[in-house]
Amino acid sequence: MIDNAYILDNGAYSAKVGLSCHEEPKIIPNCIMKAKSERQRPFIGNQIEDCRDASGLFYILPFTKGYLVNWDVQKTVWDYILSNDCCPSNFSESPVIITEPYFNFNPIKEAMSEIFFEEYECQSFLRVNAGDLSVYHYNHDNPGTLCVLLVETGYSFTHIVPYIQGKKIRNKIRRIDVGGKILTNHIKEIISYRQLHVMDETYVMNQVKEDCCFVSEDFSRDVEIARKKYPENTIVRDYALPDYTTIRRGYIRPLDSKEECNQQTIRLNIERFSVPEVLFHPSDLGINQMGIPEAIVRVIKSCPEETQPHLFNNILITGGCAAFPGFKTRVYNDVRSMAPYNCKVRVTVPDNPVTYAWHGGVLFSKDPKFYNYAVTKEEYEKEGHAVIFERFDEANLNFA
Amino acid sequence: MAAKASAVERQSGRIKDSNQKRILDEASRNRRARKALEALEQDNFHDDPHADLVMSKKIPKFQETIESRGSRKKKPKSAEYYKQRFRKSLAQMVEEDKNYMTGGTSYITAAVEASRYPDRHFCAVCGFPSNYTCVPCGARYCSVRCLGTHQDTRCLKWTA
Repeated sequence: MIDNAYILDNGAYSAKVGLSCHEEPKIIPNCIMKAKSERQRPFIGNQIEDCRDASGLFYILPFTKGYLVNWDVQKTVWDYILSNDCCPSNFSESPVIITEPYFNFNPIKEAMSEIFFEEYECQSFLRVNAGDLSVYHYNHDNPGTLCVLLVETGYSFTHIVPYIQGKKIRNKIRRIDVGGKILTNHIKEIISYRQLHVMDETYVMNQVKEDCCFVSEDFSRDVEIARKKYPENTIVRDYALPDYTTIRRGYIRPLDSKEECNQQTIRLNIERFSVPEVLFHPSDLGINQMGIPEAIVRVIKSCPEETQPHLFNNILITGGCAAFPGFKTRVYNDVRSMAPYNCKVRVTVPDNPVTYAWHGGVLFSKDPKFYNYAVTKEEYEKEGHAVIFERFDEANLNFA
Repeated sequence: MAAKASAVERQSGRIKDSNQKRILDEASRNRRARKALEALEQDNFHDDPHADLVMSKKIPKFQETIESRGSRKKKPKSAEYYKQRFRKSLAQMVEEDKNYMTGGTSYITAAVEASRYPDRHFCAVCGFPSNYTCVPCGARYCSVRCLGTHQDTRCLKWTA
């Protein structure tokens, strides 16, 4: 058994990275940022923590619509991640697990293999969907599970993936084109129109979204609460924005706070829950797709009948958007109302939906199966990309 | 002559108004909606603040590179090399994927269908549920007050 596998869950917004002997992964923003205040240098990944003034950050992202296309950016970020400043590793000893999105494109797969084998000279390498690792984690925690319905709701999009006996059913996978990025841009847009121009403040507004937004468990009830005036309105909050001289991070401020406040504040009312609501009704923004609960039911109904009760009973939700409070209850309520009455519905949201897949990678690297799946440098040098496609893509690996 | 003039005068003011109002046709409404969605996919709203600066090529970075790890002699390839080496755009890859994947689900066919349920409507100004539609541009509003704000700020002002 090894405890030095290098696990890189390479998300479009943040990379989760660490060795399998680590307790927790490091979460590194997968981007290069430029700050208005610092002309000397760009900030790579979590170097942004050193930046004194994060207002008006300019983002350069390696991913477009969830797929890796800007390789110069990605290479720069990876070089930083692998350097001694971040999370160094000796690839001549450590096997590597790296994640990719569903329906990743062949040129991207080839480029990944090439960089890891030829540039970083790693000895053995496994490329999987982050969801595979989440499902492995879930099966590990719940032995005897036959089927899992995975909902992975990340930065670029949301995938709904049925796994039957550890194998994903590729033809049944469905994607909703709503993720954290759209939500952040949406809150930026509506706050800029209604209150204060914050279109340049993606970094700050993302924090506002993470600090304030929640998933409504009963939308029309919450709308009625939001219509009321303050003491009866239990939803409205003020949020003090950071000015990067006295406060570095914004915070929620009670409406009746007596203390003097010179900070710029924005008031969040219906915005607090109408923003995450887009995940449940993409049509609210004019995106012509169904929301998460309806899509869950649609995907399960398309699977073989004998698997359906198992899928309803094992709904697993991971990814950054799953961290909104109230997500689990809302999905449960909505799916319950659409599912057959005699089916048990159970929804699981892990304590940390962001690092769940990474921890699954740790568990998987200790499974003897891992050695059969990984491709070694010798194999790659002898057979090239063919062996990698055969092993990772055509074989439909089992993550039971 | 006099009778004719009075007939014109007797016409409702609102009808006269509505004939002069510009009403956006279906195509330009769709175009606007598409633009709004594209804006939601943008990485940045503003331009690169240091676009005119050549970044840091000569400034020493004082950080160890991969080169100094282990005893490898191979020189790492620059980020620029990989940009040149793998330069396919997303649109190109989607197109190739379409030809390659015959049968089975691919990126394009994996997109989920439209909902069975009717759309909900929210006021473009305040965000609360709305019952009314702005006649010229098709935006939703909930009250006369919001309609006023809408007409002053956005209605037909984004000429798309």
